[in-house]
Amino acid sequence: MPIPITIADDSALSRKTIQRALPPGWDVVVHEAKNGKEAIVAVESGLAEVLFLDLQMPEMDGYEVLTHIKQHHEKAVVIVISADIQPEAQAMVSALGAFRFLKKPLDGQLLAATLKELGLI
Amino acid sequence: MNTDFLSEIQRDALQEIVNISMGQAADSLARLIETHVQLSIPYITQTNSQDFISLLTAQQQHLAQQSFWGELNGEMISLISNSGCDALGALMHYDPPLEEQDIQELVLELTNILAGACLQGLSTQLGFKTHLAAPTLLTKHTWSAEQLPWQQALLIEVSFVLTNTDFKSRVLFCLQQDSVDPLTNQLDLLLQ
Repeated sequence: MPIPITIADDSALSRKTIQRALPPGWDVVVHEAKNGKEAIVAVESGLAEVLFLDLQMPEMDGYEVLTHIKQHHEKAVVIVISADIQPEAQAMVSALGAFRFLKKPLDGQLLAATLKELGLI
Repeated sequence: MNTDFLSEIQRDALQEIVNISMGQAADSLARLIETHVQLSIPYITQTNSQDFISLLTAQQQHLAQQSFWGELNGEMISLISNSGCDALGALMHYDPPLEEQDIQELVLELTNILAGACLQGLSTQLGFKTHLAAPTLLTKHTWSAEQLPWQQALLIEVSFVLTNTDFKSRVLFCLQQDSVDPLTNQLDLLLQ
């Protein structure tokens, strides 16, 4: 059974970049979200067993999405992929329950290593 | 002013690439001053030499300029207000009040960190080779529209704000007209 995953990012370029970087052969169905609200809908609809989450997004940002997931005890492995790479951003998302923090521009090898480490591939 | 140089999808892509570059610049600054830097969404527009010069003539601010050349040509301008300079001086443990020499040092250092990282990030992500000249301070009398080697340019404006301080710095990234085609071609490749 393929795993449902969601890529949440307001930039079409970034969604494309993440999708291209997914390890070949990883059996997934990819959904896309253009803002935080769509990301939450995806999580609640069971479309995001793994959620790749941007932090700066319109409507609702990545921090709010993480807070919502935490408060509602939603089950999603959240991997933050962010342009804001400052120590404070990394600490905040980790406190909010994100499994990993990856920097943009996304390094495909690091993504594969991270997914392996989390037992996802 | 408009953004005719770029299609909507190219603009979105450039905005994201600049955003990532700013993130890298902000991280360098944040580690230096141990304070979180707030990022803004990059503002991309088309400008002409007259409008561009008028952006630089606001009072009570310090300016520095850095030219770049190579596969992309243009200039980076950093602007920092007087009060922003004081705030930065305090964070970097300068004794107040700042002497003229301290101010120059701070403005040049900030320009190197922010503009340098912005250009580096943009060039690397797009696969362009560029070189950045050393920054020079600009005085209000240094610039006139006639001196600029272009009439139309693509202008990218980003700003950096420090939480709980008066510090705000803007970086203007000005790409000459003849560099726009190589830029859009590369954006199209990334978007394929």
